Amino acid sequence: MSKPKTLVVVQRYGDGVAGGAEAHARQLVNRLKPHLDIEVLTTAASDYRTWENTFTAGIDWVDDVPVRRFPVLRQRAWDFKLYERRAFAPLHTLEDERTFVDAQGPYAPDLLEHLWRAGHDADHVLFFTYIYYPTVRGLPLVPERAVLVPTAHDEPALGLSIYEPVFHAPRAIAFNTEEERALVHARFRNERVPNDILGVGVEVPDDRSADRFRARFGVDGPFVLYIGRIVESKGCRELFAYWQRWRTAEPDRRIALVLAGQAEMAIPKRPDIVHLGIVSEQEKYDALEASVALVVPEVLSSMSMVTLEAWACGRPVICDAASPVVWGMARRARGGLAFRDAAELGEIVGLLADDPGAARRLGEAGRAFVARTYTWPRIVGTYLDMFAEVRARNGESRLGLRTMRERAAASV
Amino acid sequence: MRILVVVQRYGADVTGGSEGHARTTAVRLSRRHTVEVATTTAQDYWTWANHYPSGDDTLDGLAVHRFPVAAGRREDFKDVERHVLMEPHTLADEQEWLRAQGPHAPALLDFLHERGREYDAVLFYTYIYEPTAAGLPIVPERAALISTAHDEAALGLAPYRALFQMPRAFGFLTPEERDLVQRRFHNGHIPHEILGIGMDPAPDHDEAYRSRFADGPLVAYLGQVSEGKGVDDLLARWDAYRANGGCGTLALAGTVRMPTPARDDVVVLGRVNEAEKWSLLASADALVLPSRFESLGIVLLEAWQVGTPVLVPSANAVTAGQVARSGGGVAYDGESFGDALAAVLADGDAMGARGRAWVRDECSWHAFDDRLERLVGLAAV
Repeated sequence: MSKPKTLVVVQRYGDGVAGGAEAHARQLVNRLKPHLDIEVLTTAASDYRTWENTFTAGIDWVDDVPVRRFPVLRQRAWDFKLYERRAFAPLHTLEDERTFVDAQGPYAPDLLEHLWRAGHDADHVLFFTYIYYPTVRGLPLVPERAVLVPTAHDEPALGLSIYEPVFHAPRAIAFNTEEERALVHARFRNERVPNDILGVGVEVPDDRSADRFRARFGVDGPFVLYIGRIVESKGCRELFAYWQRWRTAEPDRRIALVLAGQAEMAIPKRPDIVHLGIVSEQEKYDALEASVALVVPEVLSSMSMVTLEAWACGRPVICDAASPVVWGMARRARGGLAFRDAAELGEIVGLLADDPGAARRLGEAGRAFVARTYTWPRIVGTYLDMFAEVRARNGESRLGLRTMRERAAASV
Repeated sequence: MRILVVVQRYGADVTGGSEGHARTTAVRLSRRHTVEVATTTAQDYWTWANHYPSGDDTLDGLAVHRFPVAAGRREDFKDVERHVLMEPHTLADEQEWLRAQGPHAPALLDFLHERGREYDAVLFYTYIYEPTAAGLPIVPERAALISTAHDEAALGLAPYRALFQMPRAFGFLTPEERDLVQRRFHNGHIPHEILGIGMDPAPDHDEAYRSRFADGPLVAYLGQVSEGKGVDDLLARWDAYRANGGCGTLALAGTVRMPTPARDDVVVLGRVNEAEKWSLLASADALVLPSRFESLGIVLLEAWQVGTPVLVPSANAVTAGQVARSGGGVAYDGESFGDALAAVLADGDAMGARGRAWVRDECSWHAFDDRLERLVGLAAV
């Protein structure tokens, strides 16, 4: 039997493409490809700041999957921020919103034309990220076979009217987390659209060594770990401020803050803050193994991969109580603690450092949560169920209709 | 509840099936809810020329927000229509369709964007025009779509693909419209209500009206006398019926838009007033509605109100469905017109009585109000 034909629409795809949603798309495509006949529709761009056509338009192959690249006809407008500000202003018109989406890009009308012509030959079309032109303008062309992976978080764009069809018209929505689902449902009131929590599978190597980490980087003593780009938008400014304030109040404690990732802002120069720079995957897992806990100061995100990886390694997370997603997940997982200020950050770090039993219990609860939710067999199985329901609906199968209704009813 | 009705034209002197339905719905709902209307300044659907002043107006005691038509029907619309419906074309061509068709009223859409969320439910009339096709996607979470869809080529165009997936509820005029929409869009999961219509009781009629016509069976047609309404087909069938020995008179009432034969057994009345309409319906032994496209067939309901049986082509799923449900007439196909008419004439009283009872039950204001109430309940956030 031939495999169901699936189109995957995503703004960028391939080697050298950085970005959480784009990496998510590629991982998922590689997991789904044994079960589906997949073709990726994307642009020739690799950088979201310019959308410059760095790939050649036409058919490409990535991981043995055909990738059809369409040219971006306009680079991101130099005055894009102006359009963004207009669209986000309290009093703005629908025209302001349309202009914003076109200016934000990647503006690739040929991709839409192709989707419009070829979309009906596919059994399902998977759209990655709600925010960009290919999804905003493309999803309404094939709504009855569309599955959306929104990767939404609480940001001004989500409030725009232009995104209503993206969230109301698809046949199904694959959220990354419960928190993302709650956010989208509160904003759009689109509970009727069948949906599930999918995300990505988390797999960590069994071979993880704290000793190897300490020997490699010369770090000894207890430490809490930060992983990711060191940048204000990830909450690092608050993290450094809180850390310093707490250490000033409690200078005798022997504990460090270790940072793994590229620095895009100034890091305070002090003996108890250690910057490793960019680390390899293996070094990351070794570092987690050696750490007391992972600290996640980011407030805005639809998903925190490093949180899931820390849990998969059995480490607890320390997060900002203002983060709906990370703290929401940590609460449900019982895999971490949240701080509201410098004193609480210090309390939590001290507690976990002094009581390895408590740290272990939180970490193990996190590990169990990841095993329940974010494993590839479960995610692939759930996607395949979702796709089967889309096909059943479009083939008018009674069984499919009933299942969809039950799901829709259960999710309200 | 606060309810907004969105429709392309609205006014005391606006004619049109869906516009009339919109007004009836707005007025009926206003008995229990606060109802406002958002529409354009257009009166006719061919040019969409600005006719009414823009701004706030009142009709039947309801607030009507009128927004200016920035662009009416484009002069080359017929070309655009032929191109996207009959010829190879691009997505961009299809996306031109709404604008070329008109009415383009961006201020109405911005009103929905700014104020749409102040209403508990927004009822959109007629899928095909921009106010609905571009307006419903602004407030889908509280929208009901009263699509008034026919089996026509435009239903397949790009601007409508997502439209039919988004409303919180559908209001269909007939079960046949529902079947068409669900078959085309696979959207059977969206809840719906079959609205039909509500009607005032038929007024008294002039008993002497019958004497204007020759003795023998009187068969009436009411509506535009044109090929588009299938009157040419009706005349051909009438001719065959007479040639086969059938007797009687065919009376055609309505604006004449085609050549009509000069013969004694076909009486062309031209436009008739309301009193004449009801007298003709009551005097006739049967009403024929030959058109192939009909979203509700309101004249059938009026005939049944006065106990007159009807004849409809079986090729029209909507009217044939109404006849099958009510038992108030017969559907004919191909060559069976004469036999069907004979059957109606032979059993006319019983059929007329069934039609009358069905309309009394299904088209009472009470029944219509209940259906509207259910629709609003499905749509409201």
